[in-house]
Amino acid sequence: MGLAITVGVFGVLVLFHAAYSTIQYKGLLKITEDEFSGPPFNVVIELFVGLLLCFWAALTVPGKFQSIHPHSEENRIVSLPANLDFMTFNHRGKVFPVELDVKLRQ
Amino acid sequence: MVTKTEETQLNRLENQVDNGGGGAWDYLSLVRKLKVRRSEKVLKHGLSILNDPKQRSSLGADEWTLYEQVAVAAMDCQCLEVAKDCTKVLRKRFPDSKRVGRLEAMLFEAKGSWELAEKAYASLLEDNPLDQAIHKRRVAMAKAQGNISVAIDWLNKYLETFMADHDAWRELAEIYVSLQMYKQAAFCYEELILSQPTVPLYHLAYADVLYTLGGLENLQTAKKYYASTIDLTGGKNTRALFGICLCTSAITQLTKGKSKEEKEGSQLQSLAAKVLEKDYKQRAPDKLPQLTTALKSLTLSS
Repeated sequence: MGLAITVGVFGVLVLFHAAYSTIQYKGLLKITEDEFSGPPFNVVIELFVGLLLCFWAALTVPGKFQSIHPHSEENRIVSLPANLDFMTFNHRGKVFPVELDVKLRQ
Repeated sequence: MVTKTEETQLNRLENQVDNGGGGAWDYLSLVRKLKVRRSEKVLKHGLSILNDPKQRSSLGADEWTLYEQVAVAAMDCQCLEVAKDCTKVLRKRFPDSKRVGRLEAMLFEAKGSWELAEKAYASLLEDNPLDQAIHKRRVAMAKAQGNISVAIDWLNKYLETFMADHDAWRELAEIYVSLQMYKQAAFCYEELILSQPTVPLYHLAYADVLYTLGGLENLQTAKKYYASTIDLTGGKNTRALFGICLCTSAITQLTKGKSKEEKEGSQLQSLAAKVLEKDYKQRAPDKLPQLTTALKSLTLSS
């Protein structure tokens, strides 16, 4: 968890650094009076690295994904709830009362 | 609906609580959430919490929920004294609650004094004619007295008003099955599948009813619903696998001579049989010979 958050923060920092480098590069272009055609190659690489780090952190930090398959263990329905609204009390359990000595003390 | 993970969790907690490992309140909450009927255990562990003032007060407002749960469990176990005491405590706390009124009427039911219970339900319904729980209790009471036809009448009337209540549809289907009125039961299961298409057990029950009805067309539909059950459970439902085998052999018996779509059917059957064999080998190796002879007799008879 801690590692993932650190990596995520680092990724965001890398992205900011890429932005800063681009601005700096643009300033440099203004001095040399060249046209801006795109960020330099090392900034593009930096962007990708930052993106990947952020991706990884964003997928790891919030936790596990839940299954959407109907046949996975979390979703597979193995039994229906007992229909408690319709429960009746004169079943065979009436003939065999519980042996525990139970009482509600007040 | 109880999923596989919830079932294992429930069994684990039950084991833990039974062996004195604590976690009784968690167990009781899970029982309530999953709506399973474990009355004897709820009574035992619920009372042990209620009789301990320290534990009871740590529950806060949930205490009253527990009183209700234990009261119903006690009625189910015929410990009427406990049920009466719980209801009294609740009545003291909530002097004019309808929910407690229902509990009192249920106590009459458990005692077998039907007229008193009926009177209590009738007066509760007068106050609020749309109380679903009380309508359902009346159906259950008719069923408990053995008046199945009255129960069916009540239930049909109830379903005219509350059509989206799938528990009631399920109850009606089960009553019809118990009376061997399979056509009506099939209708109820169709409703259930329409309202909750992702529950494999409704597909399975519908297929069972259709298979019992018999006839070529019904058998073919039954096979399709067994197949959809397999689809929804990932082939882990043994009953559906057996259903496929039985349906296929019944269909081939009916269409002997007329050889149409036979190939596809036999393939489905052999696949189902293979999965069954694998499953048995894994979970019950000593029953494997029985299975193979049963499967063989199914293919031989076709």
